[in-house]
Amino acid sequence: MVESYYLFSSGELKRKDNVVRMTAPDGRFKDIKIEMTRDIYLFGETSMNTKCLNFLSTNKIPMHLFNYYGYYTGSFYPKEVNISGNLLIRQVEHYTDETRRLIIAKEIIYSASYNIYRNVRYYHQRGKDLETQLDQLKALRKLISRAKNIQELMGIEGNIHQVYYTCWAIVVNQKIDFQKRVKRPPDNMINTLISFLNSLVYTSCLSEIYVSQLNPTISYLHSASDRRFSLSLDIAEIFKPILVDRLIFSLLNKKVISESDFDTESNFCYLKKNAQQKILKAYNERLEKTIKHRELKRHISYRHLMRLECYKLIKHLMNDKNYEGFKIWW
Amino acid sequence: MYIILIYDISTEGSGARISRNVFKICKKYLTHVQKSVFEGELTQSKLKKLQIELSEFIRDDMDSVVVFNSTQRRWLKKDFWGMNEEEKTSTFF
Amino acid sequence: MKITGTMINYYFVCHRKLWLHVHRLSFEEQHENVQLGKLLDQSSYTREKKQIMIDETVNIDFLQDWKIIHEVKKSKSMEESAEWQVRYYISYLRKKGIAVERGILDYPLLKKRKEILLNDEEEEKLKDILLDIEYISNQENAPATINKKWCKKCAFYEYCFS
Repeated sequence: MVESYYLFSSGELKRKDNVVRMTAPDGRFKDIKIEMTRDIYLFGETSMNTKCLNFLSTNKIPMHLFNYYGYYTGSFYPKEVNISGNLLIRQVEHYTDETRRLIIAKEIIYSASYNIYRNVRYYHQRGKDLETQLDQLKALRKLISRAKNIQELMGIEGNIHQVYYTCWAIVVNQKIDFQKRVKRPPDNMINTLISFLNSLVYTSCLSEIYVSQLNPTISYLHSASDRRFSLSLDIAEIFKPILVDRLIFSLLNKKVISESDFDTESNFCYLKKNAQQKILKAYNERLEKTIKHRELKRHISYRHLMRLECYKLIKHLMNDKNYEGFKIWW
Repeated sequence: MYIILIYDISTEGSGARISRNVFKICKKYLTHVQKSVFEGELTQSKLKKLQIELSEFIRDDMDSVVVFNSTQRRWLKKDFWGMNEEEKTSTFF
Repeated sequence: MKITGTMINYYFVCHRKLWLHVHRLSFEEQHENVQLGKLLDQSSYTREKKQIMIDETVNIDFLQDWKIIHEVKKSKSMEESAEWQVRYYISYLRKKGIAVERGILDYPLLKKRKEILLNDEEEEKLKDILLDIEYISNQENAPATINKKWCKKCAFYEYCFS
């Protein structure tokens, strides 16, 4: 029910009475209704003061920051309320004990790769010949349970992605030059899209972790030093196939996004501002999309699935119910 | 649920002060779309909270607040005559 | 261990809920029904003195002349648990030397109230309940889900059944 605000305009973000107001240089403004706001995304050049940050913090609203080119630069993560010391201890125990850490890490890869498999199968069933890749993916997934440590698991994950990426040129109807993932900076259209959307999923997961009682800095698949909020990387891994990849396929195949949306002089590294907005709108719509949850017998949005993922992880850590990652069931 | 809230505050007595406060309170929950008209998505409990906050100011014998609600936003057909002000309720800026 | 009124209440609703609450795994914050209940507490006794916290343990909605304890509830769906919550408050305050006469369960939405007394037999039972709460709380793991019809309305539902 609460909303995310995406602010592209440059200007000043300020507390005004009981709301936060973004004022553009030309005087136009947007009031953010603090009672109904989940989080705020800043894409423009914004100035603000501590009064505004303190106000956001009191209202438990995280803020995610992006630079001019749409690169994620960090989050303002308000002070956590409702901390469970007990849970934190268990989170740490499951990280330091390699055996227990591996159990969770494996389940994350197992779920993520299943969702990858389902993406490939979806397009295979719609007339793209992806038989070989499906077989390869199946075979690779069988190795997951036998991985002896995180490095080995990461190796399998790498191989899965390699196979997966060979599908992309077949799935996408536009001509794309894409063989492998290149980051910092991305070197072509697809890599740029992946980077942009990955960072969005990361921030959405972070906002959900924030309302759960998990500590965002302790992770299982990723090393706790990967990023400040590495748990968000873990959870994002599971949702990327459905929220990032499928969205890219559909944006490209429906020609919502094409070469003209990129800055060509930079070798397609940068998405133009209006393209960033188009993608965000599509992304936000996708997050609000609901499906019927079989156990809960309720309609749940894709975004809410991230929250449920936190719950399942908590139950695993509290030795309540073994963690089973989200796998597309429809 | 989707809410449209309109109010009329009498200028008598401390009307100006009350009007200012009502305006400020509504802005925490809803989007200001016209002079004394607000709209937006709310939950039951937030609506109740809004009502409690407003009741501190509303004088039962001279001020009035009307709340229309629709279970789903999409059940409420909305047309713009004159200026299209769709962007007012958008979360993109 | 400090036992709060909420814990007494949860004890009668669901032992799992009690355990999670004691371990500070709470889901009340984001839950509609709980939020509505909270607002009801706040708006029910505007002029009178309300919400007194004693020993950072028991939080009483409203104490009338130091003699009558009021507890506000939204509906009668969990009446037994609410009754014991009030009995606990009576007993707790009496032990502090406050001569509490009785308790009242207020249902402002239903425009009803119910008188609650505490007799010796109930006082004894309360002792057992407190011991039982300690015992459940000290369990290593959370008790299993109970699968009752009220689960669906509980703030912990999505946690328990996801």
